[in-house]
Amino acid sequence: MSWSNVLLIFRREGMDQLRDRRTLFMVVVFPILLYPIIGAGVLQFAAALQEKPRRVVVVGAERLPKAPALLAPEGEGFNPSLFDESAEAARLTVERRADAGEWANPAFREEAVRDGDASAVMVIPADLPEQFAARADVAIPIHYRSVDETSKITYLRLREALDRWKAGIVEERRKGDKLPEGYARPIEVRGLDAATTQEIGGSVWGRIFPFLLVLMSLTGAFYPAVDLCAGEKERGTMETLLISPAGRAEIVVGKFLAVLAASVTTAVLNLVSMGVTGLQLARRATAMGGGDPAREAAAALAPPTLQSALWMVVLLIPLAAFFSAICLAVAAMARSMKEGQYYMTPLYLVCLPLIFLTMAPGIELNAFYSLVPVTGVALLLRALIVGVYLTAFRFFVPVLLPTVVYAWLALRWAVDQFSDENVLFRESERFSLVPWIRGVIRDRGPRPTSAQAVLGFALIITASWLFAQVLLTTGLGGIGVVAAGQGVILLVPLVMAFLLTTDPAGTLRLRGAAGRYFAIGAAAAVAVKPLSAEFERLVQWAYPISDATRSVFESLLKGDTPLPLAILVFALVPAVCEEVAFRGFILSGLQSGRRTRSAIVLSALLFGLLHVFLSLFQQFFNAAILGVLIGLLAVRSRSLWPGVVFHAVNNGLAVATGAWIGLLQRAGIAGWVYRDAEDGLYHVPWVVAGAVVVAALVLHLWKFDRRDVGEAG
Amino acid sequence: MILVEHLGKSFHDARRGWVEAVRDVSFECRPGEIFGLLGPNGAGKTTTLRTLSTVLKPTEGRAVVAGYDVVEHPEEVRRRIGFMSAGTGIYDRMTAWELVEYFGRLYGIPKDALRDRMEAVFAWLRMDDFRDVLGSKMSTGMKQKVSIARTVVHDPPVLIFDEPTSGLDILVQRTVLDKILELRDMGKTVVFSTHSMSEVERLCSRVAVIYRGRLQAQGPIDELLAAHGQPNVEELFFALVEKADAEYEAAGAGAGAAS
Repeated sequence: MSWSNVLLIFRREGMDQLRDRRTLFMVVVFPILLYPIIGAGVLQFAAALQEKPRRVVVVGAERLPKAPALLAPEGEGFNPSLFDESAEAARLTVERRADAGEWANPAFREEAVRDGDASAVMVIPADLPEQFAARADVAIPIHYRSVDETSKITYLRLREALDRWKAGIVEERRKGDKLPEGYARPIEVRGLDAATTQEIGGSVWGRIFPFLLVLMSLTGAFYPAVDLCAGEKERGTMETLLISPAGRAEIVVGKFLAVLAASVTTAVLNLVSMGVTGLQLARRATAMGGGDPAREAAAALAPPTLQSALWMVVLLIPLAAFFSAICLAVAAMARSMKEGQYYMTPLYLVCLPLIFLTMAPGIELNAFYSLVPVTGVALLLRALIVGVYLTAFRFFVPVLLPTVVYAWLALRWAVDQFSDENVLFRESERFSLVPWIRGVIRDRGPRPTSAQAVLGFALIITASWLFAQVLLTTGLGGIGVVAAGQGVILLVPLVMAFLLTTDPAGTLRLRGAAGRYFAIGAAAAVAVKPLSAEFERLVQWAYPISDATRSVFESLLKGDTPLPLAILVFALVPAVCEEVAFRGFILSGLQSGRRTRSAIVLSALLFGLLHVFLSLFQQFFNAAILGVLIGLLAVRSRSLWPGVVFHAVNNGLAVATGAWIGLLQRAGIAGWVYRDAEDGLYHVPWVVAGAVVVAALVLHLWKFDRRDVGEAG
Repeated sequence: MILVEHLGKSFHDARRGWVEAVRDVSFECRPGEIFGLLGPNGAGKTTTLRTLSTVLKPTEGRAVVAGYDVVEHPEEVRRRIGFMSAGTGIYDRMTAWELVEYFGRLYGIPKDALRDRMEAVFAWLRMDDFRDVLGSKMSTGMKQKVSIARTVVHDPPVLIFDEPTSGLDILVQRTVLDKILELRDMGKTVVFSTHSMSEVERLCSRVAVIYRGRLQAQGPIDELLAAHGQPNVEELFFALVEKADAEYEAAGAGAGAAS
């Protein structure tokens, strides 16, 4: 790749964007104007907000005692001393009605609340004076309507007021009986808030800020990406660029950098504008009135500290890179700006749920979320804004690293898109489903396409999920069901291979292989065991498995299942089913039009994802790494079966570990093999020896076992 | 300089399956010569020329441009060709000078050499009065000149013009054709596609008639006219088209009877 060309293209695209009024507006002007306008709007709205009067009808008010007073002696209101603030009392107007005529009728009172004539109707029962005198308790019914906000708030205020009134009555009685002061109020709760001002402020910002920031970096990437891809096609300049000596990767990276710059600029300008507006609002709020509430409001709007703002920018760059690459790849498909805009909705629909998590209460950054694209970054942004630095720093790298990887993958996808003449020179054609399906089956080749491979993976996941839902509703369970679930994984690739390819047996690599490959498979599975045990421990240390989950899995494995049956169901069946799916159909599909290396890695990632969806998220790492090994084995042997052997031995060792260790212990040699037999951890020399053997086998397969191109055809 | 042998290109279409846009096309074009590709819209001219410019990969046959195979060394080919079509536009938000400079830089021409070359090209095309005009403010004629300047800025030995005059008024058409003739006189290898008979008669020493994705006939114009007993290119063209249609229908009927 020629970086001078990349730089040249980046500079041109950047300048082009700067000269474009629409982009300038979206990227620069819009964020600068948006927040002050929202801020001013919020203040004006608050000022203009006229609260509905809360009208309380008190039926039989004349029965209330003089002291302590519930209602103000004069006028239409409650006793102000029963409220935190007199303003609060003033908002409630009291209408006294005699307990006679229509107001005596509960149906009429309810109707009054229902029609909105009164926010609440309180009924003072006729026997209240007698009951008070007798020191008995008495019920005071309040009619209200919970779905009407005003009525509900009125009801809550009334309850508060009545509670204080009740306390007053008790206090009177205590004084009358000459009881000690703590008699009626044995405890007093005093809440001490440990949250700092920044944290209180952060919790408000923390909900909105990441959401807007992520959304803005997506928006900031989308418009330029559409302009630089679809726009260029529309204006006829794309072809001009494609026939220049600049390579596709150079063109994509140049454009990508320009889009990235726009995206980051948008996000940072949003950050600054939002912060400045927040500061301004906070100052206004403090200036408007003293007292605690005003200070609270000010705190709530205080912007994040400079330090966390800096970290946010650092975090935003890989996220913006991810969005930029995705947008470029998507926009490359569009023939015109108009078509490009159509792709925006699905893109946002996928992204929004991932960002919404930051708005949901109770969702905290953890190991799992840190791996989810977009969500991890959004949650980390929130942690930084709220000021939970401990969490933020712990997860900084776990969030940053996958995001960089996702961005890189997305960029690769964009380059692929730009290298695909079908994408670049797409003609519009009428789409109708049935002829299309017929065409796909009619024009099938010997191997599936990459898209079909990915579709196969998605179908496996959805079919397995549906299968699990059916099981949940029917309440079936047990070992047979586990095997049936594997059958779903097998069924999808089988059907797809027969339907979509002319050579299903070749696609699924069903032919045999040389004996040495089986030996390599078995040897590698045994040799990798000590290593993967260490690795598993590392993963569990980083991402602890909850006890509940662990017990479910242990009950599955350690039930009364006889060992041969357990090996059949947990080792042999999955080995065949998952291999047919992942090293058969999916790897074959991914190999078309891609380097073998990339195909193996991608299929291994999908294999890891299968475990995230259907089993434990922690198994992702081990599955992905083993997936690379088996993928290599499958490609080199050009057969599924050595991989099946590897997979079966690997799973079999896991299932039989308990029995095996028990056997060794009885023989008294467990101590030679395991340094921690309970957790299946081997002595270091075994681990090292295993690592050396595995490395040697991989090297052998990768370097020395290549076939000539002619022979491979 | 350009050698095309049994070139074929098929596209996959959801409705019709694999469709052959171009089939078994062979021709040759030498320096100092304009080779005309004459055919109606949809005949396969653009597909052929896009294959030569390396943006499409042939599915059959091969093409060698300026000594390099278009599949094996696409970058080397792109360095040595200038490509212009009615569709290759110019950037709206760049001036004439900036645009030509941008492509010159992409071709890796050193800064000083590029400036000298651009001065020469701008003078040759009489573009000096709109050097600093943005693409969006240019007239069609100016745009076309910028496109030509962009096409020749790196002084390529091979030039490919895909219907460069379609949709232009006659004045601009004339300028473009004049410049192409001048380029021929400079010794460039020029391939030129069009659906206009008069352009072919004016420019090309040799011509190929392409229709339904196949070359129906090729050779020097006078030889072709003599061989087919036609008085002019227009009559020749229609005769070939009718013949091709008749063959196609016969083949279609034959296939229908066979199935």
